[in-house]
Amino acid sequence: MAQQILAFFVLLFFVIRLFFQRNRKEISNNEFVFWLLFWGLASMAIIFIKKIDAFVASLGFSGAGIDVLIYLGVALLFYLVFRLRIKMEKMDKNITKIVRELSLQNKSNKNEGNKR
Amino acid sequence: MAEKKKIICVIPAYNEEKSIRDVIKAVKGQADEVVVVNDCSKDRTREIATSEGATVLNHIINRDQGAALETGNKYALSQGADVIYHFDADGQHKADEIQDVLAPILKGRADIVFGSRFLNKKSEVPFIKNYILFPLAKIVNRLLLGVSFSDPQCGFRAMSREAASQLRIEQDGKAHCSEILYKTHKLGLRAVEVPVTVIYNNFGLKFIDGVRIIKDIIFYKLLN
Repeated sequence: MAQQILAFFVLLFFVIRLFFQRNRKEISNNEFVFWLLFWGLASMAIIFIKKIDAFVASLGFSGAGIDVLIYLGVALLFYLVFRLRIKMEKMDKNITKIVRELSLQNKSNKNEGNKR
Repeated sequence: MAEKKKIICVIPAYNEEKSIRDVIKAVKGQADEVVVVNDCSKDRTREIATSEGATVLNHIINRDQGAALETGNKYALSQGADVIYHFDADGQHKADEIQDVLAPILKGRADIVFGSRFLNKKSEVPFIKNYILFPLAKIVNRLLLGVSFSDPQCGFRAMSREAASQLRIEQDGKAHCSEILYKTHKLGLRAVEVPVTVIYNNFGLKFIDGVRIIKDIIFYKLLN
């Protein structure tokens, strides 16, 4: 019980911070909604931790519910990092394309200038 | 009489003010046009290359060697090049071997020619590269890309117009060497390896570059 109360205070800190960030316009509305949902789900997990324990045990896992949540969290983070890597790779390629086109355009502009 | 082929030399350059003048002078007589792709050098590479009469293409952001080579290829194709060859800016290649590299293409025997430092014993390859890095690179090329050439990382190569049009270099970094070997194999281009001499200096690939190349190849395979 004490752990759950402590976890709630931690969550409360992040939710209050989220509202401040929105008021200061540091995050967009979409981001605000996403993180609000995220922390909402986290608080649900804290409230129903016993039910999650029972559910996880019924699936045949030996660990407690919170352990499984951490495993899932790590797996999700891996996936997000991979997605981010792909996105960065694409951005990198696009930057190269722009740099290349600029260098070729500058060259052809100079050539035309020389012809005149 | 055989029609004269237009030959363009592409030199990717990043901070090469010490060597670029000599390199341009050395290759000048062996190409109809010398193109230096200045990859956002912070030194006088650009000014020196321009003063030596090379065509200089400037990257406004450093995009690395593979990206510079593709820029050079694209430009060369737009100028109607029949044959394009890549030559390093740090003076590690010998200009008197250019004709050996070009010959198989000019004679119609190959679409692409790779220089190889391992086909003769003239290159004094440093111990770590000779016995660790290059064998490792060969294994990676073989296992991940299914290609086996004697030199996995030589920047001295020539290609016909047809080959250059098909071979789009997508690897901006040093993994472009493996990518070109892989695409050559995949596209079924006629490839020939020619012995070349590599003169080693302090600016060659380092161990960390090797790690990066392997990482890039793995990621390339994952995404393709």
